[in-house]
Amino acid sequence: MGESIFEANLILSLFLFTVGILGVMWKRNAISLFMSVELMLNAANLAFVTFAFQHGIIDGGILVLFIMTVAAAEAGVGLAIFIALFRVRRHLRVDEHDMLHG
Amino acid sequence: MALVIYYVLFGITVLFALGVLFNRNTVRSAICLVGVMAALAVNYLIMRQEFVAFIQIVVYTGAIMVLFLFVIMLLNLREPEVMPWYLRKARFWGGALSLVFFFTLALAVQVWTVSGVTPGAIENEAFIKESGTPEVILLSTLMITKYVAPFILTSILLLVAVIGAIVMAKRYDEDGQEIISEEEVS
Repeated sequence: MGESIFEANLILSLFLFTVGILGVMWKRNAISLFMSVELMLNAANLAFVTFAFQHGIIDGGILVLFIMTVAAAEAGVGLAIFIALFRVRRHLRVDEHDMLHG
Repeated sequence: MALVIYYVLFGITVLFALGVLFNRNTVRSAICLVGVMAALAVNYLIMRQEFVAFIQIVVYTGAIMVLFLFVIMLLNLREPEVMPWYLRKARFWGGALSLVFFFTLALAVQVWTVSGVTPGAIENEAFIKESGTPEVILLSTLMITKYVAPFILTSILLLVAVIGAIVMAKRYDEDGQEIISEEEVS
């Protein structure tokens, strides 16, 4: 079973990553965008665990733990930024937030 | 049989991921993302990474997604329906480039994956079977020996993130003074 799910899992990881990219490109709502980024992080986690399983090295699991920590920190700070932004502008449509536009 | 279960899981993951992408309602999108994460946790269980699966459920679905749902609830958001022309063009090219990305890498996976078990896998498998050491013990041992520096850096990162979130969420009045009272100003 180990070998047969290896490639399928890589394809699944690739698919999740592509869906994440599509979400970042297509969505206009900042929170939807952020969820797509989480999806991409999950795809990377899946690839790590798959390779760790295939090669019998446990290090992949540790990297997954670190990625999860970074994702949690990112979610905390990012959502706080969104709330602060929403308080000023009353919307979160990313293409209309162009305050830094020259 | 196990492979059938795996492919059912594969289908569930794909469906939930498409749900994240195509739902206009942000709450439904978030629920679909919870589904993806739970399915991935089962996938980790199949690959005998019990601790990672457990952490996946607790941290991702338990903490991060609940945070997302709270913020969605606070802000009451929707995907806007009307789309300016420049975004339509961007959507087309974004989709095309993503498809190119997907098929290129899928081809790479098909061509270059080394099938067959590497020597390390056999040794590790034998080690786990003989010593009966659970995965948690292996992980934690690695974490406080080989990966101790990233571990400490991660704790600093979390501390900085907590402080940053508090600073971002504070409210200030016109003079730059912090607003402490809980009266709603909007």
